[in-house]
Amino acid sequence: MEKIIQFPWHVPFGEFTLKLDPLSLIFLTAIIILTLCAGIYGVGYMRSYQGARSLKAHAFFFLLLAVAIGLVVTANNVILFLCAWELMSIATYFLIVFHDEKPSVRRAGFLYLIATHCGTFCLFLMFFLMARTAGSMDFTVMAHTTFSPALAGIIFFLAIIGSGVKAGFLPMHIWLPHAHPAAPSHVSAFLSGVTIKIGIYGICRVLWIMGIFPNWCGYVLLTIGIVSGVMGVLYALGQHEIKRLLAYHSIENIGIIALGLGVGLLGRSYHQPFIAALGFAGALLHVINHAIFKGLLFLGAGAVIQKMHTGEIDKLGGVAKIMPLTSTLFLVGALSICGLPLFNGFISEFMIYFGLFQGVLALPLQGVVFFVLGILSLALIGALALACFTKVYGIVFLGNPRSSIETKGTEEVSAWMMAPMFLLAGLCIWIGLMPAVMARLTFMGGNFLAHMEPSAFYLGKILNPLSIINGTAFVLLALIIMLVFVRRWLLGKEPMPTSETWSCGFTQLSSKLQYTSSSFARPIVQYFRNTLLFRRYGGEVSGEFPQKAQMSSHVHDASEDYLFRPVFTRLRNLSKRIDEKSIRYTQIYLIYIFVFLIFLLVWKMRG
Amino acid sequence: MTTWIDTSCILVVFLALSILATYRITGMIHIFVVQSFVLSFVPFFLHADALTGRDVMLVLATLVLKAIVAPYILFWAIRHMSMRSEVKPFIGFGTSIICGTFLIAGAFWVASSLKLPGKLISDLVIPCSLSTVLLGFMIIVTRTKAITQVLGYLVMENGIFLFALSLFDAMPTLIEMGILLDIFVAVFIMAIVVNHINEEFEHAPASLRRTKMGETL
Amino acid sequence: MVLLFSPFFLGVITRVKAFFGGRVGPSVFQPYFDLAKLFQKKCVYSHTTTWIFRAAPIVVFASVLAVSLMIPFGAFKAPVRFSGDIFLVAYLFGLARFFMIVAALDTGSSFEGMGASREAFFSCLSELTIFMNFVTLVLVAHQISLSGMIGAEIPLSWKLMGPTLLLVVSSFFIVILAENCRIPVDDPSTHLELTMIHEVMILDHSGVDLAYMLYGAAAKLFLFGGILVPILLPIHTGHGLMDTLIFVVGMLGIAIFIGLVESGMARLRLNRVTNLLLIAFALAFFGFIVRLWRG
Repeated sequence: MEKIIQFPWHVPFGEFTLKLDPLSLIFLTAIIILTLCAGIYGVGYMRSYQGARSLKAHAFFFLLLAVAIGLVVTANNVILFLCAWELMSIATYFLIVFHDEKPSVRRAGFLYLIATHCGTFCLFLMFFLMARTAGSMDFTVMAHTTFSPALAGIIFFLAIIGSGVKAGFLPMHIWLPHAHPAAPSHVSAFLSGVTIKIGIYGICRVLWIMGIFPNWCGYVLLTIGIVSGVMGVLYALGQHEIKRLLAYHSIENIGIIALGLGVGLLGRSYHQPFIAALGFAGALLHVINHAIFKGLLFLGAGAVIQKMHTGEIDKLGGVAKIMPLTSTLFLVGALSICGLPLFNGFISEFMIYFGLFQGVLALPLQGVVFFVLGILSLALIGALALACFTKVYGIVFLGNPRSSIETKGTEEVSAWMMAPMFLLAGLCIWIGLMPAVMARLTFMGGNFLAHMEPSAFYLGKILNPLSIINGTAFVLLALIIMLVFVRRWLLGKEPMPTSETWSCGFTQLSSKLQYTSSSFARPIVQYFRNTLLFRRYGGEVSGEFPQKAQMSSHVHDASEDYLFRPVFTRLRNLSKRIDEKSIRYTQIYLIYIFVFLIFLLVWKMRG
Repeated sequence: MTTWIDTSCILVVFLALSILATYRITGMIHIFVVQSFVLSFVPFFLHADALTGRDVMLVLATLVLKAIVAPYILFWAIRHMSMRSEVKPFIGFGTSIICGTFLIAGAFWVASSLKLPGKLISDLVIPCSLSTVLLGFMIIVTRTKAITQVLGYLVMENGIFLFALSLFDAMPTLIEMGILLDIFVAVFIMAIVVNHINEEFEHAPASLRRTKMGETL
Repeated sequence: MVLLFSPFFLGVITRVKAFFGGRVGPSVFQPYFDLAKLFQKKCVYSHTTTWIFRAAPIVVFASVLAVSLMIPFGAFKAPVRFSGDIFLVAYLFGLARFFMIVAALDTGSSFEGMGASREAFFSCLSELTIFMNFVTLVLVAHQISLSGMIGAEIPLSWKLMGPTLLLVVSSFFIVILAENCRIPVDDPSTHLELTMIHEVMILDHSGVDLAYMLYGAAAKLFLFGGILVPILLPIHTGHGLMDTLIFVVGMLGIAIFIGLVESGMARLRLNRVTNLLLIAFALAFFGFIVRLWRG
């Protein structure tokens, strides 16, 4: 199943070696699907900017990003991997700052650039530690090296930070909710669907190379997954802007994936091959699934934003009547991301749940406690995601428009933009109804990561329930069709009478009286107000005839407002002080560099 | 018989937890009555095969003191102070319940590393008594009013009582009786003190009373 | 079986409530008449609604029926049982809930929005409790399938794990009340503003759609009862008819008990419902701890 391609490349320690193993294969699948869809969509989406901006540069960076990501997942050499990684980061930056006339977009771009470089720094450190021990820059050689537990621990930490920044683990996620909404929609889809998964790929690759980790690593990964998952979806519930909300949902899904990886790693540490394979396979399947449905959701959101000219959820409403096709496709994505049966999200969550429950039965006490926490958080994530997407779908697409929008009947986006959405929605349903192919593929990846021989017994143990789920799904569909026919038979052919919405006798309904997304999410957000730092501003009225009052509510991202911002403000103040005291001229910087160079030279000569 | 003891233990912990989730002081006292009632019958199950006079005496004493006299005094105190019967917690009820759940888990964890001499009739007695003690402690810490603190103290004592029952055969009756008497006197004194404080504040200026009552008591 | 008996179950509850209210109450077959009446009526739709609103009752009813395939009733074995069907059960109910909430938002009425919002919130907490109970049952029975969990092993388990099962049963009972909008959480007989959860969400449905919704709700209550009864009455005579009889008696018992609870309790204030659900979770968690302790 492995293929190696080699090209001549004259870089010290570097070798242009590409290797295709099950892990790269799975990530490549997601990449190819999404590159295709986002690319085609982009053609339609970017039409409106024709002439105003240089679209060629945009297209160039998009394709560069696709190539770079392809290189990252197939590279078999540290230097090549890091080069591709850097290329990917830079191309992403240029894609994010497409609307560079807006200061918020420029800020988001810088934030991304800084964050990603901090992460890359950790990766550099990690890979050189590994290469030093292994004596080679080649991944395959590294995989045959044994590392001491202490070193493995350090490497694990660096991998979590380095790749975690890219993937958006809490609390390293702060760049993500800024960058994703800032980019054009197809880029957001690609970023959310693929680029952040590369962080996951980094971790997977390290997990594969290292083979043996201390037990606590699995627990750490599981905990990170739980925290990112639950907090991601809670933050998402508090958002008012659709793309920002989707960005927070990416954090949630990354959390689910990390949870799956944690399950797999723990299974591997405790020598439970089936649990290991299930956890890894579930996580990998979720990587593909998330790429598909999050891509679909971002593309759908982009279509809405293009037609309605706003992404504020509370200003939208009744879009389903204007864009019926888009709204149906968005519904498919929403159902998938909630992990509901018939759709693909369920299959991957099922595999992770299955692994967790197997673990509860097989692991020692400590593991049982953590796995139970995992199960509970997965259940909580599922229910909260359901609340969140009923909110998005119900408020944006259903009901009456909340602000005046002039439309001429139905108004869909162009075929360029519809086709990819159809493809993605079709994939959602295909994996949901016929999961065998993808399950096989990802189980192979799971086996690969679990370092075990592919076993037909274990494969059967997971394919069997999946096929029954499959059958049940078809029974459900049959039941639905049956009920449709019963209804039609009972109601007859003639159209039903329509009237106003019944609201207990109150007739002066206006669209402003509808439930808004903020009020829909309020019970939950209010309940978790201390975790979320949910705050209301204003809103008090007084007197018999109250004057106009204003109310706003906001969810504060704790790690942004209370962790990174103060630290970086301190850092900036510190550097400013140094700057004022000593350094005035550029030459002084150069002298520093020169002195350091000489120092290095002398040091080298002595050695 | 083990089943009955198990059930009683679980009930005692659950009732302690529901005291944490109760909004009204009268409700808390009612639940406490039920808890004491359940608890007082545990000695019966301990020696189901051969009941001794000692058992019967203990049951009766517990029943009378804890399920009748102590709550009666508490109710009397409430009536006489004409205080509002809402519980004012430092932390929310939801958080209290979650914390309580973790305390129970902690108690079981501690109990798992506890080695006790002698054989117990049910292995749930020790962790459950520890949980009840911890929950009682939590009631004392997180609820603001004097009377709720007394209640927390009583719940805690119920936990200690359960613990003592597990060492029943190794302990002379006198000590148990002493404990029970202690509680009784404590509740009695509390009622008098609370009542007197209340009377003091009746005469104090209104502004002072508002800030001091309920909050610091 | 579910289709046949679930309205009866509802009728019994109503009858018990009426009895304790000092009334005679409607016949236990009244829900059947109600449904039959609704099935003959035409529907009225709001201008605001889209196809979602029409599809929701169908999906709700269909997914509840699909769940019924995975739950054994007395001697009738569940037609679908496999390792891991518990997730399918939980998420099929999730599917039903999704469509219910979305349909409620489809009307654009703030009443229904309010119900939808509350439903979404409370279901988060009850979902947690359900999964906690599942974990405990899985640990007790060493099987990851619903039929296995509440099946043959239970009588043995009562001897060893009595306290655990007791806790599971009580917490699951609270979940039944919450998930099916019975009294301490929601009032099934009114859509008054303060109690708006389930009833208000189906305010705009009419005719056949309403019948589907109500039938679905009745069936859901029946299914939850069907999970609880085998745990409570773990008697296997081996005789098919007897087993089924025991099951039916158990279901009646639960119906009467729910009726009792509804007559004896007032509806909780909305912000206290969360505490009730948290207590249910605490019970479930406690059951899990006791299971670990004994294990």
